[in-house]
Amino acid sequence: METTNCIETSGLNYHFSKNDHVLKDINLAVPKGSIYGFLGPNGAGKTTTLKLILGLLKNQTGKIAFFGKNFHDNRIETLKKVGSLIEAPSIYPQLTAIENLKIWQKIYQCPKERIQEVLEIVDLAQSGKKKAGKFSLGMKQRLSIAVAMLHQPDILILDEPTNGLDPSGIIEMRKLLIRLNEQENTTIIISSHLLSEIEKLVTHIGIINKGQILFQGTLIELQRLQDRGSSILLRTNNSDAVLKILEEKKIVGKVENDAVVLPAISKEVIAELVKSITNQEISIYEVSQQKNDLESIFMDLTK
Amino acid sequence: MNYINNIQAEWIKTKRTASNWLVLVGGLFIPLITTLVYFYQEITLNTLPKNGWASHYSSSWEKMAIFLLPMGMILAGSLITQIESKNNTWKQVHATPQSFTNIFFSKFTVILFMSLKFFIYFNIGVLLSGLIPTLAMEGSMPTDSFPFWDVLKLNAKIFIACMPILAFQYFLSLRFKNFLVPIGIGLLSLIGTMIGGPWDHIYLSPYAYTFYVVMPKETWFNTSFFALISFAMIMVVSLFLYLRSKDKG
Repeated sequence: METTNCIETSGLNYHFSKNDHVLKDINLAVPKGSIYGFLGPNGAGKTTTLKLILGLLKNQTGKIAFFGKNFHDNRIETLKKVGSLIEAPSIYPQLTAIENLKIWQKIYQCPKERIQEVLEIVDLAQSGKKKAGKFSLGMKQRLSIAVAMLHQPDILILDEPTNGLDPSGIIEMRKLLIRLNEQENTTIIISSHLLSEIEKLVTHIGIINKGQILFQGTLIELQRLQDRGSSILLRTNNSDAVLKILEEKKIVGKVENDAVVLPAISKEVIAELVKSITNQEISIYEVSQQKNDLESIFMDLTK
Repeated sequence: MNYINNIQAEWIKTKRTASNWLVLVGGLFIPLITTLVYFYQEITLNTLPKNGWASHYSSSWEKMAIFLLPMGMILAGSLITQIESKNNTWKQVHATPQSFTNIFFSKFTVILFMSLKFFIYFNIGVLLSGLIPTLAMEGSMPTDSFPFWDVLKLNAKIFIACMPILAFQYFLSLRFKNFLVPIGIGLLSLIGTMIGGPWDHIYLSPYAYTFYVVMPKETWFNTSFFALISFAMIMVVSLFLYLRSKDKG
């Protein structure tokens, strides 16, 4: 069956013990060519979901499909198309970066030249002969990404790849992932507990909390949710008089911190409102739109 | 092809690890001591009873097989697997496109190769520890011919006797992430086997077979055959439990 999603899960449940349900009915849909941000606070079930998808945990109930095919029936074929980085970097510290990559080059049976290529992509070409144990955390993380992309996978699954990176490292990582997505058409799933870290990167978002998916859709859909939650702030020298004007116009407003706050209204209504206020010789100091940032939506959803 | 590639990959992982040094030091330790003793006591291959080479080899293996060899096997069988647990790399290994059975056997094959390396170092060491004192003190080659087939046969027998230890240690190190657990259990089992030596059914211990080879006693069974059966049984149980494990990350 033809599908536009490269990964789909349905009814995924997982529990470590009878009363400890880690995942409840997870239905993920990761579109081909997307950068899918898998977001949730620590302990929400992100890593467990990704481990299940990769077959690192035995599936208890539910289905996992890659490109429309059941994962468990096609495990080896599927994993040829998937690169992953789960939790901490997977490297052998006594070996050099090149030796580390050689291990995976043997297993994936990809050309030797790929080693140098991926080292250049992750900006470690100059450190190839250095022992990985002497790398900084950021370099280790980059080496792990090089491992994940060595065999040119169609899908990259990255679990908190920016953990421990400094701001410039995060920006570098973001650029690298966008480049991979745009140039190689690699579908990327990236998990994080910080929305701010991935909102500039992702095209799609799935929000998970306490083992349940709370939101799944495009970034635009999430932004619509953001607009719906926005409000207008009016700061004047007479808030009570403004409230009366609002009452006449059947708009619900309230006073907060010496300013009047009202739900989002159209530009035309704002203009009319401003006219009415000035007609009554009330001084206006500020008219602004108070947008709910994505972070607060995320916080609201995961409350 | 995948299996061969995987063995090559596993072999790279052992580079610069403690197991590599252990194999070198463990393999050359007894020959080095023997050389010093021969020089100190002015012993050469020509002064040893019967065929000098045969006496030299069997006495070196005796010293080795009682404690050092099983201990070396305990460490080799555990440390190589622990490379993954220690570096938190099992999840990466298990997310590669290969069957779990392939992963299981290629890793064990590398343990066998590492043990073979240990045997090679030891044999070279024994050869030199016989040759050097003889050449230095007598200025000539040993008069006895080198019993090549007997030495090879003895090596093969001891190697087979080690296989149950390797399999059991492999099984333990796949089950326990903390490397102290398999090594601790291994050492205690080895000491227990040494103490329980006189017991009629001590052959049930995977650690007992090397003793049978270097200290032969009347048995109703063929030691090598029993060691191979024991090895196969441990491997089957180990594979079964490995395949069934719920968490491979």
